[in-house]
Amino acid sequence: MPPAIVADRLSKSFQVKVRDPGLRGAIGALFRPRYREVRAVRDVSFTIQPGEIVAFLGPNGAGKTTTLKMLAGLLYPSAGRVEVAGFDPWTGGAPFKRRLALVLGNRQQLVWDLPAEETFQLNRAIYDIPDADYRERLAELVTLLDLGDVVDKPVRQLSLGERMKCELATALLHRPPILFLDEPTLGLDVTAQDAIRRFLAAYRERHGATILLTSHYMQDVTALASRVLIINRGRLLYDGALDALVARISRTKRVELVLGDGVTQLDLEQFGAVREFRFPNACLDVAREEAAAVSARLLTALPVVDLSIEDPPIEDVIRQAFAEGAEESEA
Amino acid sequence: MSGAGAWARRYWALMRNAWLVDFQYRAAIALWLLWGMMEPAIALGIWWGVAGTGDVAGYGRADFARYFFAVMLVNQLTIAWDSWYLDRWIRNGELNFRLARPLNPVHEALADNLAYKARSAGFLIVLWLVVAAVWPPVRLPFDPARWALTAVAVALAAGMRFFISYATGLTAFWTTRATAIMELHAGLSLFLAGRIAPLALLPPAVAGVAGVLWFSSMLAFPVNLLTGAVQSTEALLRGFAGQVVWLAFWFAAYRLAWSRGLRKYGAVGG
Repeated sequence: MPPAIVADRLSKSFQVKVRDPGLRGAIGALFRPRYREVRAVRDVSFTIQPGEIVAFLGPNGAGKTTTLKMLAGLLYPSAGRVEVAGFDPWTGGAPFKRRLALVLGNRQQLVWDLPAEETFQLNRAIYDIPDADYRERLAELVTLLDLGDVVDKPVRQLSLGERMKCELATALLHRPPILFLDEPTLGLDVTAQDAIRRFLAAYRERHGATILLTSHYMQDVTALASRVLIINRGRLLYDGALDALVARISRTKRVELVLGDGVTQLDLEQFGAVREFRFPNACLDVAREEAAAVSARLLTALPVVDLSIEDPPIEDVIRQAFAEGAEESEA
Repeated sequence: MSGAGAWARRYWALMRNAWLVDFQYRAAIALWLLWGMMEPAIALGIWWGVAGTGDVAGYGRADFARYFFAVMLVNQLTIAWDSWYLDRWIRNGELNFRLARPLNPVHEALADNLAYKARSAGFLIVLWLVVAAVWPPVRLPFDPARWALTAVAVALAAGMRFFISYATGLTAFWTTRATAIMELHAGLSLFLAGRIAPLALLPPAVAGVAGVLWFSSMLAFPVNLLTGAVQSTEALLRGFAGQVVWLAFWFAAYRLAWSRGLRKYGAVGG
């Protein structure tokens, strides 16, 4: 089966007007405008197979959304090649766009003053969805997203979470095989975030959709994506499984302990770096390859009530990946 | 479903949504319509006073009344404000989701225009009929052939004004001053399109500029056709030819700005 998404040495540069601050700078820029080239994406290459869910991670301004927009055909690449669902997004036209859903977390296509079902009807006409299919798909989306009491209320009266659910329903009525989601859980509370994640997993399960999403919430990544793309300053730093990233970046394991009486911080320091000690709880960082041996020694030498070995939080791993990537690009 | 059927459904859905949004803003729509009637009403008041019992360059009071009622109707049926929307779509990133749909955003703008014009036409034609019933100067001679020709001229003018506004709005791909350009155009059209005075009353050089450029085609020609000021076959053909040429020009300008602008697009704002 051909890949769902191919990005081959993709680059995008913008010309940004620069001026000195203040009135003098503003007047000067009128007569002698100066421009600076910003390289938002540089030589990014990856391939995504049909049915994969891939998370695109990076700090603000890293180039995630720019890449997503090039894949969706919104932005014209400065260099490189893109292929999505077998189409060049720039020349694919309507047949390409029918295979695509683009959801931007901070911009909505719902008509603000009307109930969401009016936007659904509009998309039904735009995507030319037959009546029977429309009814079946709407019923499925309403059930999966729990929208029963929501679709007939004006959008402006909906909560942020309800709006995002309606936004997803609008974007998926034509049942696209490729989903580009930019911060789909941005600003949502924990319950709404969880509902969106469960929906995306179910949609992919039912329809074999390929999903590329950006998010700043690591729970989105851990719950949905087995593979991550890490980008910083326009460069792709990592492409692979989340587990492998943790193993590569994190040289330590975290040992969580519940201790018996009489154990001091000094006792623990001979086993590893003490991250936290608040009796009876303690947390140690130990070298990855020594984690099992150190745990055995701990159990023998100290009165341990409970012990668990974990990887460090994914946020720490990603932060470290960004930092190492930044150092590499500066070097 | 056939291609034509699918397009009809798309346009109907877009127009239906435009009307549904209008229902949410009833007061604003009424004020907008009133504002559209104010300018020709004020101009009529002034020229009514200037003409007195005589005439100005062949225009008596009744001629001015017919002229400005026709301006009111034709202006509302041809006006286009798309540059303001496009400027916002492009600069705030609201164009993004529209570009991801299998429908060129120009169709949404066209449907929005059709919805607005259908609504305005209904209101203004009824208003004219009511006023004509009690005030003879604004009555038009019964001439269905002339009204049919006027409908064609209004359609061409509406198309031209739409593409002028749309193409100008697309300059927001390059500049933050797209709406300022359109404001300048609106200021010029106040004189050159015949909004505040019939072109026959302007100095010949100014009227000549209006005739050479697109301004007379966008308002004065359909207005003069409706009121009967265009009589000769030659003037009729010249008027329609001007409309077709300038419509083609502004359509080409839109196509060029769209294809070039998309490559320039920064897709800002998410």
